[in-house]
Amino acid sequence: MKYQTSDFRNGLKVEIDNQPYVMVYFQFVKPGKGTAFTRTKLKNMITGNVLERTYRTGETLDAAPVEDRNMMYMYDEDEFAVFMDNESFETVNIPLASMQEERPFLTENLEVDVLFYNDRPVNIALPNFIEDDIAYCEPAVKGNTATNATKPATLTCGATVQVPLFIEQGERIRVDTRTKSYDSRVK
Amino acid sequence: MWILEPSPMIHASNKTQNLRAQGHLTHALRSWFFERGYLEVYTPIMVTSPALEEHLEAIYVSDYDSWLHTSPEFGMKKLLGEGLCRIYQITPCFRKEEIGIHHRTEFRMLEWYRAGASWWDLAHETIDLIQTMAQSAHQPSFNFDWISTQELLPSNLTPDEWFFRWVDEIEPNLPKACIVYDYPEWQAALARRRHNVAERFEVYINGVELANAFDEESSSAEIHRRWIKSNQVRMAMGKRPYPIDEQFLKANQRMPRCSGIAMGIDRLFMLLTNQDSIHDLFV
Repeated sequence: MKYQTSDFRNGLKVEIDNQPYVMVYFQFVKPGKGTAFTRTKLKNMITGNVLERTYRTGETLDAAPVEDRNMMYMYDEDEFAVFMDNESFETVNIPLASMQEERPFLTENLEVDVLFYNDRPVNIALPNFIEDDIAYCEPAVKGNTATNATKPATLTCGATVQVPLFIEQGERIRVDTRTKSYDSRVK
Repeated sequence: MWILEPSPMIHASNKTQNLRAQGHLTHALRSWFFERGYLEVYTPIMVTSPALEEHLEAIYVSDYDSWLHTSPEFGMKKLLGEGLCRIYQITPCFRKEEIGIHHRTEFRMLEWYRAGASWWDLAHETIDLIQTMAQSAHQPSFNFDWISTQELLPSNLTPDEWFFRWVDEIEPNLPKACIVYDYPEWQAALARRRHNVAERFEVYINGVELANAFDEESSSAEIHRRWIKSNQVRMAMGKRPYPIDEQFLKANQRMPRCSGIAMGIDRLFMLLTNQDSIHDLFV
């Protein structure tokens, strides 16, 4: 399947030089006296590198043979993280090296979208929010309810995030994985 | 801040606030032309021929075997041929297949012509207009750079390669505000040619093309030749040729030496009211 420049939109998954990319920006441009072009920014779905490409109207991009499957994080094994398909119980191993950003937020039994490229698992997408317990942080400052003053807290899963001063060790918090920041307390 | 349309602010959304700002800017625009002795004119939007350029796609109105104009250029040059010397117009224009954050099929064009002016005179006048408008919008004034396209790209590129590199590498890196001039002669459209360059300029702000100006070619024989050539290019691309407007060619021959400029005022208003997309200007 091929995409025309008129099909371009954010989130489009395309294949360039045997790599899967997702379109993160596109802009129609037409110089006064010339033909039309579309400027794009494409993010490599494996490495995260961003490519800037300009396409002439009439040029096409191939659809990427990618698929998202909902799977559960089990454990790490050597250089790999192991995920299990909730329906087929099939497991897949993904190199930890390819998910350095995501790995600290993998809590036990967390459901993630595993990206398959040509039927090979290559990357994961975390849910927007995760919940986890605080394994360590400095004691709370009593009566300080300000949210702009923060301290670092280490979660059970291994990630470190900034939390407000009133948060106690052992509390459960909700973290926004997109900004890697504290969202709220979980009661 | 605004005096017109003083409806209670409690009902004012961002969109209505923006409409108010646009109304005031349009008023400032008309005052600027009035002070310089320009006459506001109107020319028909539905026309017998919409364009001469091969890459402009016009809307055909089949019920009337007519077109919606892509700019008021032919109509205004007919008025110049009648002896008018300083005219301007604010009018909706229509261009098919142009949709994006800086493109809208129906958009507003400000076009003006001044007899006896070179493109150089007009460039200075245009900068003055933009600075006046920035002041009306309570925005800081711009520092304009002047850049010849020949400093940016080699002149021996093919049109396709020239435009690709323009869009890909040049345009995104232009200074914040600039006058770009001395275009390759194959980009003359309706501009005069001199020493292998087209005597025209464009105005860019924040990498957005805001206006396009010509030192107008007044030889109708020359325009006729370019029209036929452009229609051949259109037909080779499988597109419908545009009718040759004989009335315009006659007027063009009588027109005084002049320069003219077309400015996308939706884009200007977008910049001056801090919007990211021209679609934000409309409710």
